[in-house]
Amino acid sequence: MLELVNVTKRYDTVTAVDALSLRIEPGGIYGLLGPNGAGKTTTIRMIMGVIEPDEGEVRIFGKPFSERLKDSIGYLPEERGLYRKMKVLDHLVFLGEIKDVPAAVARERGRKWLKRLDLADWADKTVEALSKGMQQKVQFISTVLHEPKLVLLDEPFTGLDPINTQLFKDIIEELQSNGRAVVLSTHVMEQVEKLCKRICLINKGKKILEGSLADIKMQFSRNVVTVRFSGDRERLERYPGVERVRTFGQELTVTLKAGTDTNDFLRHAVDSGRVEKFEIGEMSLRDIFIAKVTADGGEVSDEAAKSR
Amino acid sequence: MKLLKVAKREYLDRVRRKSFVIGTVLGPLLMGGMIVVPGLLFEHTPESRVNIAVIDLTDSLYGSFTGALDDTLSNGSKMFALRNVRSTGADLDAAKKVLSAEVAAGTLDSYIVLPRNIVEKGTATYFGKKVSNIRTLERIENALNKTVVVQRLSKQGLDYGSVTAMLKRVNIETVQIGKGGEKANGFERMYITSFIFIMLLYMTILLWGVAVQRSIIEEKNSRVVEVLLSSLRPFDLMAGKIVGVGAAGLTQYAIWGIFSIGLTSYAMSTGQFAQYVSFGWSTIAFFILFYLLGFLFYSTLFAGIGAVCNTDQEAQQLQTPVVMCLAFTIVIPMAVMQNPDGTFATVCSMIPFFAPILMFMRINILMPPVWQIVLSVAILIVSIFVAGVVAAKIFRIGILMYGKRPDVREILKWVRRA
Repeated sequence: MLELVNVTKRYDTVTAVDALSLRIEPGGIYGLLGPNGAGKTTTIRMIMGVIEPDEGEVRIFGKPFSERLKDSIGYLPEERGLYRKMKVLDHLVFLGEIKDVPAAVARERGRKWLKRLDLADWADKTVEALSKGMQQKVQFISTVLHEPKLVLLDEPFTGLDPINTQLFKDIIEELQSNGRAVVLSTHVMEQVEKLCKRICLINKGKKILEGSLADIKMQFSRNVVTVRFSGDRERLERYPGVERVRTFGQELTVTLKAGTDTNDFLRHAVDSGRVEKFEIGEMSLRDIFIAKVTADGGEVSDEAAKSR
Repeated sequence: MKLLKVAKREYLDRVRRKSFVIGTVLGPLLMGGMIVVPGLLFEHTPESRVNIAVIDLTDSLYGSFTGALDDTLSNGSKMFALRNVRSTGADLDAAKKVLSAEVAAGTLDSYIVLPRNIVEKGTATYFGKKVSNIRTLERIENALNKTVVVQRLSKQGLDYGSVTAMLKRVNIETVQIGKGGEKANGFERMYITSFIFIMLLYMTILLWGVAVQRSIIEEKNSRVVEVLLSSLRPFDLMAGKIVGVGAAGLTQYAIWGIFSIGLTSYAMSTGQFAQYVSFGWSTIAFFILFYLLGFLFYSTLFAGIGAVCNTDQEAQQLQTPVVMCLAFTIVIPMAVMQNPDGTFATVCSMIPFFAPILMFMRINILMPPVWQIVLSVAILIVSIFVAGVVAAKIFRIGILMYGKRPDVREILKWVRRA
């Protein structure tokens, strides 16, 4: 449905996207994940034809990008923007019309969506009268109003309260189950962990991991242990099965080599000092991201490492 | 056509704005005010009967003075009610005191003292509470003047009527020879008409051109532009905006046009305005043609500028050369008027930056050969096309550039690459 082949985009000295290849199939939500500045927005803009790649090719529905395709794609940009002085419903109709939806149809669908998102009373208010969250809902409606086959959502949840986040997630699930391809880009990886079927992790413009979320989790799970411990730390870290140790305040996150028995490591820990906490954890996407980047000899930006 | 959807939105947005309504209403009001108000002041000053006492120390002028002061009110009755106050000269002060009291009380409007030597010296004195009504004073002065001159002439044995006939001035009437025959008072009218239309062209091209630029910068800042570009081609967005704004400009003209038809018929009826302005349908047709061409050319340039700037302040620097080009056409009309078919005027009216205004002016003053008009219009159309292609390229890249404004070298790179 959507294919990127060796797509590269450079800005002056920075390579924003570096030989990125992706395949996205209909059904299921595809997560494009990475820290800020990883190249997600640039990638999406190239898919949308808003900017052109320096190298490589974007193919949508098996065809190279063309203006006509724009009508079958819905795009929620990271930088939201609406005409402040326009009335909400009129605005939706306009955005529908420039996707070649007849005005009457756009009006009817707009009303339906406004009702669904609890904005029916605001249809005739100007956009500027709406709160940020409401404006975001309006913008979201505009990305799906023309019933696109491919939906690109760039950071769709920023600025939403938990209730509306859930509402958005439900709608996104629904879009996907209707046979549409949904690409969801975000730097808040936890947010999409349960939503995405397939993910692609990118860092500094490069793809570092791609595949089904289940496979990736399987591959990386059960070898990370969180330990709170007082005693001989050096001895603990000398255990042959330890691959890497990261310190987060009082706690250590220990990544074990594949095939290491966590029970043996616990025994070793008890021998090395006093164990206050020992937790075998499934790795979060962020941990997987950090693990993968460091394993490849790359650097993890502060953005990705903090607030763990 | 997505272009038309953009144009429609832009148009509706424009004409619904308060500034549009205010500009549209205030424009003709100001214009009308300039034309109508002076007419009103002159034609309809409420005049009423004026009571004047005359102290005639010569004892011989009063009779002919009353005869000369024969102005009538609009209802046909006499405008001035004169009263002769006799005085020998010795009791002048006493007489003046009495009359002053009457003026103060309001039973008398004013009084005039005609001194004994008025025929030789030519001075009289007017006493009144207010000396503000210049028209009234002028009438009195004219009448007194005539009275005194008649007196002087008759002393020399001459007749006033035959002397004025002998002194009658010679007037030169100006007639413009054009295709449609001869037009009386041609030159004066033509200059003023041309000037009004040129100012109108200049102001509206500048106003609406900058409006396009502003609107693009606004859209960049509100980040609407990214949503739009995910639905339409940059060219459609740019051209749609230009068409929408241009249509708003035409709407304003249409409203003004209707206004001015009413206004002109009024102004013509008072006779004050008609002698200065003259234009026909062909003038209007050329005006609209050159407004459209000029607007399209300049607004395309302004659109390109808007695309590379993030704030109006930034844009002001870049737009200066463009505005200067437009302003230049306002500075040079004198040279063109003096020699409308000279080399300078001909060449300038072919340069796209100046053509909209200068060619229009030349057509107004002295119809140039048809091939020159056609050539000028053709050059303009080609220039609009070229400017459109270049601006669209700049637009395409610039529109999503936030942050630092690109320098000229970088912009040239975009144009070559895109």
